[in-house]
Amino acid sequence: MAQDFTSPNPIGKKVLCMEDEHFISELYVRALTKAGYDVTVEVDGREGLKLAQTDQFDIILLDLMIPTITGIEVLRHLRNPAETKPLRAKIIITTNLEQREDIRADIEKQADGYLVKAEITPRELVEFLDTIR
Amino acid sequence: MQRYLPEHDNLPLVSFCLIALVSLLLVAWGSARYLSQPVRTIWEAVLHISPETANTSAPDLKKVHLGRELVAQLIGHIYQIASVADDVAKVSNSDHKLELRGDFVANSLPLPVVVLDKDMNILFANEALHAYVKRSEAETTGQNVYLVLDMLFSNQNTFDKWLEDVRGKKVTAVRTWERVRLNLPEQKEMRLFDLVAYYNKDNPEGNEIILTIYDRTRQYSQDEQAMGFLALAVHELRTPLTLLRGYIDVFEEEFDGKLSPELTGFMRKMKATAQQLTTFIGNVLNVARFENDQLILKLREEEWAPLLKSAIDDVKLRADVRGVSFTLKIDDNLPTVGVDAVSIYEVVNNLLDNSIKYSKGEKKEVIIKSYLTSNGEVETTVQDFGVGIPESAMGNLFEKFYRDYRNRTQVGGTGMGLYLSKAIISAHGGHIWVRSKEGQGSTFGFTLTPYSRIDDEKKGTGEDITRSAHGWIKNHSMYRR
Repeated sequence: MAQDFTSPNPIGKKVLCMEDEHFISELYVRALTKAGYDVTVEVDGREGLKLAQTDQFDIILLDLMIPTITGIEVLRHLRNPAETKPLRAKIIITTNLEQREDIRADIEKQADGYLVKAEITPRELVEFLDTIR
Repeated sequence: MQRYLPEHDNLPLVSFCLIALVSLLLVAWGSARYLSQPVRTIWEAVLHISPETANTSAPDLKKVHLGRELVAQLIGHIYQIASVADDVAKVSNSDHKLELRGDFVANSLPLPVVVLDKDMNILFANEALHAYVKRSEAETTGQNVYLVLDMLFSNQNTFDKWLEDVRGKKVTAVRTWERVRLNLPEQKEMRLFDLVAYYNKDNPEGNEIILTIYDRTRQYSQDEQAMGFLALAVHELRTPLTLLRGYIDVFEEEFDGKLSPELTGFMRKMKATAQQLTTFIGNVLNVARFENDQLILKLREEEWAPLLKSAIDDVKLRADVRGVSFTLKIDDNLPTVGVDAVSIYEVVNNLLDNSIKYSKGEKKEVIIKSYLTSNGEVETTVQDFGVGIPESAMGNLFEKFYRDYRNRTQVGGTGMGLYLSKAIISAHGGHIWVRSKEGQGSTFGFTLTPYSRIDDEKKGTGEDITRSAHGWIKNHSMYRR
């Protein structure tokens, strides 16, 4: 079930955060809403995919290890023109998982950004998202 | 009467004889090595195909200078003979008089073999190959080889690339690859093997290429399992680290200016410690990647000063909390360098981390310089005035897990940073060095090649320059888009 966190000072950007680790999404929501983003959190891959396909978001933060269908599968569905019309949202992978290089290269090719969560703080995530046009 | 000869009258003669003898020995040793290399390579091929010495690696043809063409052909024959030897023996020992037909021999082979035509279509695949890829004869013969053998190579020197090189240049050629990965469609299992390709341009029957597969799944998958475990362990370490860094971030923001100097200090130390743990995890992963031939660097043209400064900035907090100050002396107008930004960041990070850890004396200063050498290379040095390194430890510093026994109890560390730094710098075509005096501090330095000098490699390809650090890749992915 998706949860909405509306920012007190919206800058007009909507973020879908697909993340099942509650402690992490809690931190991201706090930093992002403070910076003026509207954040929707979704813990379930399949539900997240449906939400993403509504194309109402500017940015999608996608964890790779999420329940029902993995982030890699979500990405594949979102990038398949037969299933999803081209999204305006930028898809940023946020993961702590290590991939085999060939798999990772393939993911990076399909996504607009790839972040290792342990290597950034929530504030750095905001700084990074601020650079996305 | 006593005759006094000049003291060193016969010295020139003795010296000449000695020099001549030493030179003769050196020449003899060198030429013996040079001359025997082809034979040794052939012997390695024999060992490689022998079941008793299955762990021997495939011969490296690059080492052969003398008669490489001939050696390549001979090795080709060895692999071909190996493909049929067992079965010929079986047939000739049996009581049945069988007609020894090529496909019969190939079909009863234990090794998967596939023969390709000029268009990479499969002319023939033996039964061992059908079993290996779990496809029938009808599903393989006539098919393009890539539809049947979906091969993944550990670096850029793939079968395709080799074939492109040899076609047009050579009449016959042989090459081996280790640790080739085979993805089987709709099957979870994965195969790892050594591949031998034999190329013959003028084969009258159109058999341009023969591929032989030496399965090494069991042997290599142990390494893969170790990597799998490591990936899992890293994930488990990273999640609490993400949270830890996140909470520190929140506290820092909320308590900004409200905490006592002591608590502010603790907060900064906590943050620095978490950063250090991130570096450590990165090192663990990169060492594992390096050793599994998966650390691949992509060299791009970069301005060196901003890159260096940003790496220094990221370590500043760690220096601050330990009372260490940085002094930067970076020359203006340095040429652009060809580097993998992510990997070179890790080198600087490791060298600075060490300089902070070992700054134990009174002078807690680290001087970072970057300048152009007389050879036209960009050299960067990190100098500390700390504990220094004893003479006895200097030779082993860049070895894996090496830690000077006297420092072990005083300074934490794992002995991975310098090992990794050396691997990364070597892969960049530079060199890394150290000068140190015990009790007075150490200077570590490394060189990078200006981009203008390595650009030649890039010409004609239009792609990034890719070099493997005995082959593989990066970890720090921040802002990589």
